[in-house]
Amino acid sequence: MKKKTIWRICTLVVPILIILAYTPLMIPNGVYKPMLLGLPYTLWTSFIITVVLVALTYIGARVHPGNDEEEGES
Amino acid sequence: MKTWLFLFFGIFFILLAYASWKSYRRNRSAEEFMLAGKSIGPILGFLTFSAALFSAFTFMGMPDFFRNHGIGAWTFLAFSDGVMVFFILWFGYLLRKKAKEHNFQGVAGLMVSSYGTRWAGVAMFASAFIFLIPYVAIQIRGISIFLEAAFPGMLPSWIWALIMVVMMLIYAEIGGLKAIVYSDAIQGLILLLVIWLIGGTCIAAFGNVPDLFAAVENVNDKLLSTPGPNGLFSWQFLLGSMIAVVMIPVTQPQLTTRLVVIKDLASMKKMAYAVGIFAILVIAPTIFIGMYGAVKYPGLPASEFLSQALLFDQAAPVAALAIVGLFAACLSTTNAQIFALGNELRSLLKGEEKRAMRITRISLFFFAAVVMVFSTLMSDELALLARVSFTGTAMMAPIVLMAVISKVKPYWEVIPISFLAFTIYLLSLAGVVPDHVGALRLDLALYLFLVVSVLLLSAIKKIK
Repeated sequence: MKKKTIWRICTLVVPILIILAYTPLMIPNGVYKPMLLGLPYTLWTSFIITVVLVALTYIGARVHPGNDEEEGES
Repeated sequence: MKTWLFLFFGIFFILLAYASWKSYRRNRSAEEFMLAGKSIGPILGFLTFSAALFSAFTFMGMPDFFRNHGIGAWTFLAFSDGVMVFFILWFGYLLRKKAKEHNFQGVAGLMVSSYGTRWAGVAMFASAFIFLIPYVAIQIRGISIFLEAAFPGMLPSWIWALIMVVMMLIYAEIGGLKAIVYSDAIQGLILLLVIWLIGGTCIAAFGNVPDLFAAVENVNDKLLSTPGPNGLFSWQFLLGSMIAVVMIPVTQPQLTTRLVVIKDLASMKKMAYAVGIFAILVIAPTIFIGMYGAVKYPGLPASEFLSQALLFDQAAPVAALAIVGLFAACLSTTNAQIFALGNELRSLLKGEEKRAMRITRISLFFFAAVVMVFSTLMSDELALLARVSFTGTAMMAPIVLMAVISKVKPYWEVIPISFLAFTIYLLSLAGVVPDHVGALRLDLALYLFLVVSVLLLSAIKKIK
């Protein structure tokens, strides 16, 4: 897959994750079950999304269109 | 514990002295002094950015935030940081391009040269001054209340604050930004080590993580979900916080400058994801410290909880390292922010370089004195005060974003529009303007106003 396409996918996925994070799906009022490894629901889901965001940053850093331009600075 | 304290402080001061000696050069240029010669590598870059971002506020404010308001604090900061690091890829790339075109000396100076009016720079400097001073004061306040609790009756908190401010000034005056970057690196590593040692102890007190959360469930199960026991973490509060955090690299000059002084684009991108990993690693243990506090010290004031959890409940070497770590965190973050304000002022000054540097150096003393006074007036709500600072400066984000995005001269109308939002937010803090517009929080309403205004402005200009 072309770098530009991967970058575009990243820039589409991030806003979707942001929207999801502020819906009742991720922050249901007063709900903390199901728990995962003893962690309450909102904590483990938002932890996973945070890790995904950092992973997307890692991928994005490698495929960002600006990589093709040499900065040529000191 | 005294022996450990002397040992760790001794090592820390030796490292600081070495860093300032390594950074000191006679006859160095203003760019070398204020911008570290724009030659910071990716590892130092990520450590200095992380240290400027995660400070006493993270170390003390976040455990207290988890203890009082529950697990939504993760979404409040860690998730927001995840979005911020992705945003840095896009923003940092455009900022560096613009910075190169305009010979970057500071954000305020860049705005003057982009908009062609001094008002753009003055507005940015004013917003940074108004909201960074309380933010710096939070750091000083945080460590001084901790030291006062750790050494009861030894010194009043304002003397602790004074000691830190004087040390910070001497260090910054000798070494400039390069020395600050080194001290940030030292601080970042100490912070990460000590926060995990303390977090580990807090988990061990209950056996394991599930048992810790089971204990919290018995004490107050509202801490395990949003909006938390006090109803703070509504979706509006969390969304507003995320926008404010994402705008930190845009409007907080100590961080904007760090995106520019990194030696190349590849290093900046490496820095972005490294900061994301650091954010997860440094915020995760504050959950455990906060939950430990929720079970063991639910009703105590912040300072007493922190001195118990970070100090008295720890083994002597860990407690000593916590004090040194907090001291280091406070020193490097305040250094970074005061220095950034000095740099912003310098970027606005015209005329001979020597004169500008003399004024800048004097201004560092002035800013430090103002911070000193403010630190004695701040409350203990460190995390909420930090959020206010992030939100306040975020109101000026359109000025920087338009300057960075525009290929041509940006529209000057963005300056009064942003300044209006900034002023309304300030008035709401003073209680003059209500903090809600209908059911919408004022900060969200102002962000919406800024987006709509800028879009309308662009459409009108295109039609013309």
